[in-house]
Amino acid sequence: MVTKSTFGPLKQEEFNDELFMTDHPIRILLAKIGLDGHDRGVKVLARSFRDAGFDVIYTGLWQTAQSTMLAAMQEDIDVVGVSLLSAAHMTVMPEVLRHRKELGIENVPVVLGGIVPEDEHRLLHEMGCAAVFNPGSSIDSIVEKFKALAAQRRRLSFDEAIAGYKSKNDAALGQLITYIQRDQLDNGWTPPDGSAKVFGITGAPGVGKSSLIGKLGKAMCEKGFKVAVVAVDPSSPVHGGALLGDRLRMMWGEPGDNFFIRSLSSGKQYGGLGPQCAEVIRALNGYGFDYILVETVGAGQSDVAIRDVVDKTVLVLMPESGDSVQFSKAGIMEIADMFIINKCDLPGADATEGQLKSAIDANRQICRVSTVRNEGIDVAAEHLLSQ
Amino acid sequence: MATKPISEPQSASSNKAYYGPEDVNGTDYAREIADPGTFPFTRGIHPEMYRKRTWTMRQFAGFGSAEHTNERFKYLLGQGQTGLSTAFDLPTLMGRDSDDPLSLGEVGKCGVAVSSLDDMRRLFDGIALDQVSTSMTINAPAAILLAFYIAVAEEQGVGPDKLRGTLQNDILKEFHAQNEYVFPPRPSVKLVTDTIEHGTNEMPLWNTVSISGYHIREAGANAAQELAFTLADGMSYVEHALERGLDVDEFAKRLSFFFDVHNDFFEEIAKIRAARRIWARVMRDKYGAKLERNWWMRCHAQTAGVTLTEQQPTNNIVRVAYQALAGVLAGVQSLHTNSMDETLALPTEKAVKVALRTQQIIACETNVTQVADPLGGSWFIEQKTNEMEAEANAIFREIDDLGGVIGAIEQGYFRRCIADSAIKQSVAFDSGEAEVVGVNKYVEDDYERIDVLKIGEDVEKKQVARLTQMKRDRDAKRHKESLDALTKAAADDANVMPFLIDAAKANATVGEMMEVMANVFGRYDGGPEW
Repeated sequence: MVTKSTFGPLKQEEFNDELFMTDHPIRILLAKIGLDGHDRGVKVLARSFRDAGFDVIYTGLWQTAQSTMLAAMQEDIDVVGVSLLSAAHMTVMPEVLRHRKELGIENVPVVLGGIVPEDEHRLLHEMGCAAVFNPGSSIDSIVEKFKALAAQRRRLSFDEAIAGYKSKNDAALGQLITYIQRDQLDNGWTPPDGSAKVFGITGAPGVGKSSLIGKLGKAMCEKGFKVAVVAVDPSSPVHGGALLGDRLRMMWGEPGDNFFIRSLSSGKQYGGLGPQCAEVIRALNGYGFDYILVETVGAGQSDVAIRDVVDKTVLVLMPESGDSVQFSKAGIMEIADMFIINKCDLPGADATEGQLKSAIDANRQICRVSTVRNEGIDVAAEHLLSQ
Repeated sequence: MATKPISEPQSASSNKAYYGPEDVNGTDYAREIADPGTFPFTRGIHPEMYRKRTWTMRQFAGFGSAEHTNERFKYLLGQGQTGLSTAFDLPTLMGRDSDDPLSLGEVGKCGVAVSSLDDMRRLFDGIALDQVSTSMTINAPAAILLAFYIAVAEEQGVGPDKLRGTLQNDILKEFHAQNEYVFPPRPSVKLVTDTIEHGTNEMPLWNTVSISGYHIREAGANAAQELAFTLADGMSYVEHALERGLDVDEFAKRLSFFFDVHNDFFEEIAKIRAARRIWARVMRDKYGAKLERNWWMRCHAQTAGVTLTEQQPTNNIVRVAYQALAGVLAGVQSLHTNSMDETLALPTEKAVKVALRTQQIIACETNVTQVADPLGGSWFIEQKTNEMEAEANAIFREIDDLGGVIGAIEQGYFRRCIADSAIKQSVAFDSGEAEVVGVNKYVEDDYERIDVLKIGEDVEKKQVARLTQMKRDRDAKRHKESLDALTKAAADDANVMPFLIDAAKANATVGEMMEVMANVFGRYDGGPEW
C-alpha cells in the first residue's frame, strides 16, 4: 500500500538494493524517549527489521534525546527511528535534532513514528526529520524508507575515520569500528598499541550480564577510568539480521563520561563472538580506553571462545542457575578467572555460592551482587580493577 | 463477506459454518452454565442483570492541572454523574514529580499532574468525598495516591471507612504490557498486598485492585491470553493476601476486573462468560471463599482503543458501538466507550459525548437490557465459552510450570507471548488477511479532518513553579522524619500504608516517596524482552 504519512512517495532512484547485503547489515536504532511506555509498535518494528536483515539496536524505554543520539554516534547508526505516542513530539524532536548536531552526526537521518497531526508533519520536516510515520503505516513501507535513507547517508571515508580516530573523535571511532567489522580496512592499517585490560563477561541468558556491565562500567568510570563495552548478540541464521538488545540495560551517562558502548552482531560465527571482534577490541585499546568489557552471547557451558581475545574471564551466575553437578561439567567453569553471582536479592544465593565454592579451587574470586538493589557493585568493580 | 478481525486468526474450531448440539455435548447446564445469578455465574452475577439496574457508564477523564480536572469533575457531578474516574499524567503514573527532568513535555498531557497532597487537595476541592465514588487509574505509585486521597478526606472530616472508589493498583500487568513499573516484581506485589491489607482493615467500601486485561490486550495479546493472564494475575494477588494472613472472605469482594472488548464480537462475549466461570470456581474451590459474593467476577470493560483508526475517524463510532454492544451482552458491570478521535489526541468534549450517547442508545433503545445473558444457550456461544476456558487452563499450566506469575515475568514469558501475538496481527494486517476498513480496505485518498484537543504548554510551567514553592514552604524537619520512618518501615518489611499517609501529610512528594522505597526495593529495568 502507499503510505501517505511519509513526505511524498519514494522515488525509484532512492532504492539501492545493492548496498543492502546480508554481510553488511544496515544498522538502525529504534528508541522510545520519555516516560511513554507504549512499545507495541516499536517492538513489532524491531522484529520486522531484523527479519528484513537489519542489525537493530533497541534502546528500550525511558531514554532521553541525548542518550538516544549518543547511542547513535557510538553505534554508527545508519537511521534512527524514534517512537513517541505521548503527544510530546513537538518538545522531544527539537531536542533530538539539537543533540544530533552537538554530537556532530548530522549525517544520520532521524525518522519519527507516532500520533502526529497532519499539520505538524511539515513542521517536523522543516525541523530536520527525514520522515514521519503514523499508526497504520505498513511495515513494508517503513522498511523501504529506512533502506533508502541508509543508502543516502554519507559516511566518513576510511581515511577520514582514521584521522578522526587519531584525534579522539568518538563519532569517527564509531564509524571506524564498522569498517573493521566489515573487514574493509585499507592499506593493512593497524591500530596503535594500547594498555587496556580486557575482561570477557559471560554467562547463561537471563543472569543479568548487561545490567551488571552497565553498573560495573559506571563504577569504574567514576574512579576516573575510560571504559569501553563490546556487547555481542546473535544474528538470525535465517535472515542475517540481529536484535541487539543488550545496550538498553547498560546505558547511562552523557558525552564526556568516558563510557563507550558498541553492540555487535555475531554474524554467521558461532562460539559467542562476532566477526572481527578481536580487531574491534584492538582498535578500542589503541584509542586509549583503560578497561574493555566484552559481553558475549550467553551460550553457557561450551562457550569458551572468549578466552582467546580477553585477558581475564568473568562468569556471571544467578541463584538457582544450576546445581553443582552442572557446575563441574561446564567447560566455561575451568577458564573463568572470577565469578559474580548476580541477583543476590533473590532467594537461594547462599546455596549457589556454596555449590560454586565446592566446584572450584579456592583462589578464584567470588563476588555477590544485586544490580536492582545496587549492592556489591563497588566491591566487584574493585576486584576487576585489581586483577 | 465477513471481515476477519485484526485481533487474530480465529482458531480452527471456530471455523465451522454453523454449530449444533453436538458442539456442546457433555456441557452440563447446571454445572457449567446455570441460571444468571447462580454458581458458576457463567451467565452473569445477578439474576435480573440490567432489568434491575443498568451498567455504570464511566468515562475516564483527566487533563492539565488539578484545577482543570476539578472543574470537569464538578461539571460531571452537576450532570448527575456520581462516579469520578481520574486519569493521571505520565510522570505521575511513573511515580515522578512534575519537576523531574524525565517529565519534560509530559506534565498534564495525558492526564492530571499530581505530585503532592497540595495537588490532590485542589483536585477534589469542593467535592465531598463521602458523596462520590472515585476511580483512580494508577499503578506503581498507587499506594501513594491512595495515601493522598485518605489525607484529603481526613481534612474534610471524612473517615476512610466512608470512602468509596477503586484503585487500579494492578502492577502485574505493568510488567506484562503497560510498562509503568518502578520496583522489581516481588516488592511491587508486596506493596499491592499492603494496600489490600490496609483496605480490608480500614476501608470496607474501597475496591483495592482492578485486575486488568485491557492493557495486555492492547499491547497485542489475543483473547485467550488476555483472559488467562488477567485471571492468573488475580489469583496471584489472592495468594499473596492469603500468605499475609488475610481472610479470603474479607478481601476478595473488593477485587474487581477490567477487560478489553475487541472486534471479534462473539469471542469477546465468550471471553467474559468464561472469566466468570473460572473465577467462581477458583474462588470457591481453590481458595475456599464461603460467601457467594466472593465468587463473583465483577468487571469493568472498555472498548478497544487499538482497533480505532486515524483514517476515516467517524468509522470509529461504529466500531465502538459494536464493541459496546458485545460488552453489554456479556453482562459487564461498567463500561467506558472510546471516543472517535482517540488515535489522534485526548478526546474533545464533542467526541466524548458521542461515545457516551452510544452507551445510552444501547441502554434506552435496543431492549437488550430486558433479558439477562440473551445469548446463553447458543451452541456457538457455549462452545466458544468452553473453548476460551480450555485455552485459559492450558495457559495457567504453562504459568505454573514457570513458577507462577512472578517466575513467568522474570523469565519473560508474558512479554514474549504478547509480542508474538502482536507480530502475527501485524503480518496478517500487512498481508491483507486481516482487513481494516479505511486502512487496507476501502481506502480513500483524502484525509478526513476532525478537530483535536491540544493541551497548552503553560500547564507544565505553572505546575513546576507551584511544586517548587511548596517544597520551599514545607516543614523540612517533619518532612525528613516522615521519609526516614518510611525507609525504616520498607526495610523492616512492615505495611507501608500508615507511613505513606504520614509522609503525604508532611508534604512529601510522589517522587520523594518512590525514591525512598526504591532505595530499599530496588528499581527494575525490565525482564527479558524477546
